[in-house]
Amino acid sequence: MIEFDHVTRTYGPKTAVSDLTLAIPRGELFALLGPNGAGKTTSIKMLVGLLHPSRGSIRICGHDVVADPRGAHLHVGYVPDEPCLYDKLTGREFLWFIADMFGMPRHLAGNCIDREIECFELGEFADDLAESYSLGMKQRLVFAASLLHDPSVLVLDEPMVGLDPRSVRIVKDLLAARAREGMTVFMSTHTLAMAEEMADRVGIMVRGRLHFLGTVMELREQVALESTSLEQLYLELTTARGEER
Amino acid sequence: MRGQPPPEPVRLLSLEAEARVFLRLRATLIWETLRTMLTGSRLRLSLVVLLSGLFWGALYGLFVEAFAFLDALHANVISLLFNAFFSSLMVMLVFSTGILLYGGMYRSPEARLLLTLPVRAETIYAHKFREAMWFASWGFILLGSPMLVAYGVVREAAWPYFALVLPFMLAFVMIPAALGGIAGLVLVGWLPRLRLHAVSIAVGVACITALWLGWSLLTQSRADAMSAAWFERAFARLAITEQKLLPSWWLSSGLLEAGRTERNGQLSVAGSIEALKFLALLFANAMVLQLAAGWLARKAYRRGFSHLTGEVPARRRRRTGGLDRFLTGGERAAGPLRLLLVKDLRLFRRDIAQWSQFLIFFGLLGLYFFNLRSFNYHNAYASMIGFLNLAVVGLILSTFTTRFIYPMISLEGRRFWILGLLPVHRDQIVWSKFLFSFLGGLVPCAGLVLLSDSMLGLPHPLIVLHEYCCLLLCLGLSGIAVGLGAMMPELRESSPSKISSGFGGTLCLVLSSLLIMVVVTVAALPTHLFLLARTLGPTVIAEDGLLAWAGGIWGTVLSLTVVSTAGLAACLFPLRLGLVAFRRLEV
Repeated sequence: MIEFDHVTRTYGPKTAVSDLTLAIPRGELFALLGPNGAGKTTSIKMLVGLLHPSRGSIRICGHDVVADPRGAHLHVGYVPDEPCLYDKLTGREFLWFIADMFGMPRHLAGNCIDREIECFELGEFADDLAESYSLGMKQRLVFAASLLHDPSVLVLDEPMVGLDPRSVRIVKDLLAARAREGMTVFMSTHTLAMAEEMADRVGIMVRGRLHFLGTVMELREQVALESTSLEQLYLELTTARGEER
Repeated sequence: MRGQPPPEPVRLLSLEAEARVFLRLRATLIWETLRTMLTGSRLRLSLVVLLSGLFWGALYGLFVEAFAFLDALHANVISLLFNAFFSSLMVMLVFSTGILLYGGMYRSPEARLLLTLPVRAETIYAHKFREAMWFASWGFILLGSPMLVAYGVVREAAWPYFALVLPFMLAFVMIPAALGGIAGLVLVGWLPRLRLHAVSIAVGVACITALWLGWSLLTQSRADAMSAAWFERAFARLAITEQKLLPSWWLSSGLLEAGRTERNGQLSVAGSIEALKFLALLFANAMVLQLAAGWLARKAYRRGFSHLTGEVPARRRRRTGGLDRFLTGGERAAGPLRLLLVKDLRLFRRDIAQWSQFLIFFGLLGLYFFNLRSFNYHNAYASMIGFLNLAVVGLILSTFTTRFIYPMISLEGRRFWILGLLPVHRDQIVWSKFLFSFLGGLVPCAGLVLLSDSMLGLPHPLIVLHEYCCLLLCLGLSGIAVGLGAMMPELRESSPSKISSGFGGTLCLVLSSLLIMVVVTVAALPTHLFLLARTLGPTVIAEDGLLAWAGGIWGTVLSLTVVSTAGLAACLFPLRLGLVAFRRLEV
């Protein structure tokens, strides 16, 4: 579903992502971890087409995100780290705009909008202008918009920022259920507990390189620290790799 | 390798369907904005409509007079005037649309959202282009429409002229706007590293050319200014704008043809047909440029966006300036009021939006004052122009106090956790804003008034009076802006422009305008009556009458008392109310 093929991205003299090769199959929930400046957001921006790789290619459902961005975007739902909405649209109007952009038939779009409004408990404020929303309300609306068209791939950049505990639970349950149905989830997060709880595989990036790729269990084996938390394993790996440089 | 087909409920839209979706989006956004304004900002909306109407009417009257004068002087002058006006406007529209489009397409959160949706790059470009074109050209519509309507009225043009004015303006603005868009796409898409240099050089060349033209026109002759010969020479220098390949020439020629009438005053069919040909020429070129811009957007927009997103912002180290050291008192420990002042001064210096606008407005005003000597005014006129210039300085200062000073307390409120934890009394925060505004306004305003009066050759007592009024205006305008800002803080809003455009900001602007009107009118009255009495003599103004008394010493004393009271009251009342409100404010 998602293929990074020897992807490198440089910012002037600095290499933000170096030779990233990664394939994530259908229905997998993948968590990308790493300290600040490791290259997680750059990888996500390349995945959704906002940044072009300096070298290599990225494919989503077989569509190259640079050569065929529209084809790739049709399969993707994206939740950025900072929610972007139109202040002068209501939540419902924003969802209609997204549905129209994806060419959804009107009757089906109406049903999907009602479904997402109910799922993310947006009913109370769906007809208010977005300028009056709190950060958490905005984030829930962006989640609803990203799932509206039943995407094959959901890309999440720090998805839990601003959400209250109840909304976090809703999102976690929803992601697990959608992944079981075949949706691929690619998320970057600093919330290690969430990655440990939900991710099928994790990738740990340090200074632009993917230093670990596998399950949490495999990470334990690699770092040779039995029965420790992901947080300890993560700190062990990122501190050691950081010092190697 | 072909990608997988899209999931069942979705499909890629056709170009027309994409355009329809964006049209719906635009219509909804406009409707919601209007609805919000009608329900929440009625005062502001009414003021905008009223002032726009007044502005339009005043311009119309001015242009009617000007065209009647020019028509009698030399018929060809109007053609030259149109060409000069439209060609300079074209250059400005290229830059303003290019800059607005750059912000909208490459730096806005909306662009980041749209680029992750399955929509064509050229559709996003078209969406942002319409927005940029409107914002860049509404001023032209407001300024150009009274001019063109006035021309039609003076020339007694037939109905086709009036019907064609708006289509001509629309077709014309699309051309420079598209050129600005194309330049932006090319620079960002293919020459990203050169864009700053290219824009700087282009702006520099345009400014130097404009300054050279303005300077040469104003300095060529002072003795016979405004005479027919003066006009002949001045417009000979503007003949460069009459190139037939310029869209501005097509526009002015089209309008002149449309305004043409037969000798008996009837509609000229040949003129109307010629006008339609020029209109078609403008539209055809606008469409071709739109097609070219769309093609470029398809090729370069996503790539350009990626270039810009991938740019590493340069780290800029800032050192403490000499002014900061002077204000904080060097090595000695400074009080909180001084420290707050220095902090505001640093923020002002590092915010290009603030100081560049400050510089442009006051710089242009300075340039105008500097050239006042080019015109030979009589004493009565000179005095009146001196007071009008004082009013203009006050009005420009009031826009700055409303736009930048009024929101300062609201913006401080968002960072209140920083100041709230410091050993600073809340009053000192308000006083620091007041001092910042007062001192920051007084220096350039007093300088400009002095420049204006010196150029007009006004007597010293009048200069002292103007400077005194300027001092009172700076006190009053600062008091109004800071006081109202402290009384009505909007702590949740982070955008200063949104804060200043709300009710409090509008009230601030209205009260500021009233103060300027009162101070300037009351201060000018005795001077004007004195000069009137001296010019017209006792036959018109009786020596023992009220008008003579008002123009005498007691009238002046009364006028100064009223002006001083108004200025001090405008400063102290809002400031006091603001201090009390800010002390009680719960964050």
